[in-house]
Amino acid sequence: MSAPIRNSSDLDRAQAAGEATRHPQRLKVLVGSASCGVAVGAREIESAASSTVQELGLDAVVCRTGCIGFCGREPMLDLVLPGGLRISYGNMTPEKARQLIAGYAKSGDLQPAWALGHFHNEELVSTGEVRTYSEQSVGLKGIPRWSALDFESRQKKVILRNCGLIDPNSLNETIACGTYRGAFRALVQMEPDAVIDAVAESGLRGRGGAAFPTGQKWRLARQAAADRKYVVCNADEGEPGAYMDRTVLESDPHAVLEGMLIGAYAIGATEGFIYVRNEYPLAIEILENAIDEAEKHGLLGENIFGTPWSFHVTVRRGAGAYICGEETALIESLEGHAGEPRNRPPYPVTAGLWGKPTVVNNVKTWASVAPIITRGAAWYAKMGTKRTPGTTIFSLEGCVKNAGLVEVPFGITLRELIYDIGGGIVGDRPLKGLQAGGASRGCIPPSLLDLAIDTEDRDGETIMIGTGGIIALDDRACMVDMARFLVGFFLEESCGKCVPCREGSKQMSHLLGRISEGQGTPADLSLLERLAKTVRSAAFCGMGSMGSNALLTTLTHFREEFETHIRDKKCPAGVCRIGRGR
Amino acid sequence: MTAKQKAAIAPSANGNGDSNGNGNGNGDTKELVGAVLVCGGGIAGIQASLDLSAAGFRVYLVEESPSIGGNMARLDKTFPTGDCATCIISPKLVECVRDYNIDVLTMADVTALDGEAGHFSVKVRKRPRSVKSEKCTGCGDCWTVCPVRNTAESPPPFQPSEPLNESDAIKLRGILARHEGGLGSLMPVLQEIDQAYGYLPKRILEHLAYSWGVKIAEILRVASFYDRFRLEPVGRHVVEVCEGTSCHSRGSRELGERLEKELGIRPGETDKSGRFTLRTVRCLGLCALSPAMKIAGRSFARVNIDRVAEILEQFT
Repeated sequence: MSAPIRNSSDLDRAQAAGEATRHPQRLKVLVGSASCGVAVGAREIESAASSTVQELGLDAVVCRTGCIGFCGREPMLDLVLPGGLRISYGNMTPEKARQLIAGYAKSGDLQPAWALGHFHNEELVSTGEVRTYSEQSVGLKGIPRWSALDFESRQKKVILRNCGLIDPNSLNETIACGTYRGAFRALVQMEPDAVIDAVAESGLRGRGGAAFPTGQKWRLARQAAADRKYVVCNADEGEPGAYMDRTVLESDPHAVLEGMLIGAYAIGATEGFIYVRNEYPLAIEILENAIDEAEKHGLLGENIFGTPWSFHVTVRRGAGAYICGEETALIESLEGHAGEPRNRPPYPVTAGLWGKPTVVNNVKTWASVAPIITRGAAWYAKMGTKRTPGTTIFSLEGCVKNAGLVEVPFGITLRELIYDIGGGIVGDRPLKGLQAGGASRGCIPPSLLDLAIDTEDRDGETIMIGTGGIIALDDRACMVDMARFLVGFFLEESCGKCVPCREGSKQMSHLLGRISEGQGTPADLSLLERLAKTVRSAAFCGMGSMGSNALLTTLTHFREEFETHIRDKKCPAGVCRIGRGR
Repeated sequence: MTAKQKAAIAPSANGNGDSNGNGNGNGDTKELVGAVLVCGGGIAGIQASLDLSAAGFRVYLVEESPSIGGNMARLDKTFPTGDCATCIISPKLVECVRDYNIDVLTMADVTALDGEAGHFSVKVRKRPRSVKSEKCTGCGDCWTVCPVRNTAESPPPFQPSEPLNESDAIKLRGILARHEGGLGSLMPVLQEIDQAYGYLPKRILEHLAYSWGVKIAEILRVASFYDRFRLEPVGRHVVEVCEGTSCHSRGSRELGERLEKELGIRPGETDKSGRFTLRTVRCLGLCALSPAMKIAGRSFARVNIDRVAEILEQFT
């Protein structure tokens, strides 16, 4: 099984093997087994499905897959019929799973009432191949096409290309979807500079939030002279409300590994680290298994694809510090220090890990690399906006109907995300605001819904949603409470190194506490504002200014609500417990 | 001593040499004369001396260390204004030393204090300074060549406070064998210790520092920086309530309060029987299924608050 993969015919062989398990000639029951599925009972559903198959003596297999992104409908279960047609079911229970499998075995009943949709075709993004499956001869009546769902129809998947389509623990299945073809082309057929040129031409920017052009970063690291270089994958997804990196690692770890492999070759690094949040144990387990598999098959380690090139990857766990998502703090943490940011310059591309040139990219950035190599920079550059080509992932959550992960090209508006893809607000309540793009961005009002999403804020045109988490708040949310929550978050995460952040956050939190408890005065509000501006301009690192940013944004857009708390001693949303203690 | 100011009006030294001692010391016609002794040459002592001098008193400022200035001289900024500490204290230091009404007695100790308010006599012992003070410019060169003090003395090498018992020693050896030594492996090593014990026992960390030859302070610095590491033992099951933004907007506060009520503990605490430890965590990444929590590594999402007690029962 662990024959090394050295050339394209070896890849073809692995692809055939993967295809055989992806679409076996019998019924296949797929259980969505990423963290979100597991948290709502995927394991119970899996054992119910297995026991049903066994009890009825069916010719069927029960397998796991990652997350297809429709997290709000978890737990999900899919039937892959012989012939490849796949039907997806949401909100499953062990009992429903049993009925579904038994019913299908008996009479071919597909329970259209429970189904979300069926996949009549699938596009393998890495290669561009589109496969179509026959919709004839099965009772699909009442089951819409998956691609026609509101949730799906506007999406354009690049990073999430294989998520939910493959077993994340199977190297063959990911190869069957075109993974490692890009690495093969880069390492065997391209010069490192050509790889960097392709990435630069594609216009790919860092997806971690800062949106630095990736090709430029790589080029700087390549030009830096040093005996050792490193590539690092930043998977310390500490931003509350964002969980797409976890999903990618849990559903398609090889997409990230392949990207790192290509990047390492391009800059001349032989060692890589993936720094994963400690809160993601399943991602760590799957990732470690993936590295193991890739090493066994010669896709990582020594002499990759039979070339002299070597590349080793190590997974490192974080330990619950938000600041370690900042690249220099992450490097400090990798070196075994407390995760405090460094002064820049020097930038990591010239002096990073152990003082050596280091490229730190986000999970989504690494996962975007391989298709650029296989499909070409022009293909990638066609998507998205002029400033920021390509796609990125948003997580829709809070009060939206279709909560989950969506991958869309840049340039889409918030309204399209919330109302078209997200299906609007639960119970059709009014949307009060969004907490979008990370805690530091505060809360924004519905009046900004028509701004196009890009990687910079341009007044009246575009808005930056850095880390991709979009939490919709309906009229039951209180903005004073949200501001207090956001400031409280940064207070807790403050490292204490500089006074403005350490003491300023504390005082802001105290003042907000007074206001939300009905003891605020108009003077508190102006003091709060002055304090926030001082902290913003005086804090040592970026994080120090984040809490005050969050507060100032929220205050700008929802000042009236703050004033109501102060003037009328009332919380219009009924969240703050004025006069009711704590 | 520097922090406590005791002002004593002493009958002595008001330019009237023979009036001290027995002449004035008895009877009820005490002549109160204005010399004041200030103990401690920190910022408070300095300011007190300057004010007293300005009010016309003769002042003796006694300080145990070789120089006045105290703690403030070591600070960068002062709270809450963030003003520069040196800028506040330096002019006062100069003024204090130049003031003819103030006698600065450094390297001095108050050995006896007698009398009553308005009528004290004080004994001050000045320790030898081994240089001619009238010639001293404070250059500090004497320190390096001083034959009395200049004996090299290094602190004793670090020793763990207690030896490890056998099972601890085996565990630690096993963990260390899986990693290269040095700070680069510190995080994974701490994580393995945490996994083995549920927390980071001080004795293990001491032995880790000893075997790597790094400072225990360096290890404690890292161990205390990260939220995940705990230096105290925890309960058998750790309950983590997600406090992410999505969960916050979907009822994590109520969930947390219900857990507090059920368990009878506040976040960060362990119940008396050692069954549960409650803590909050910033985002478990289950944002589309809020509110979420994790118990002993098992995630629960879309938690129905009324089912909390039932869920807790699964963990004994």
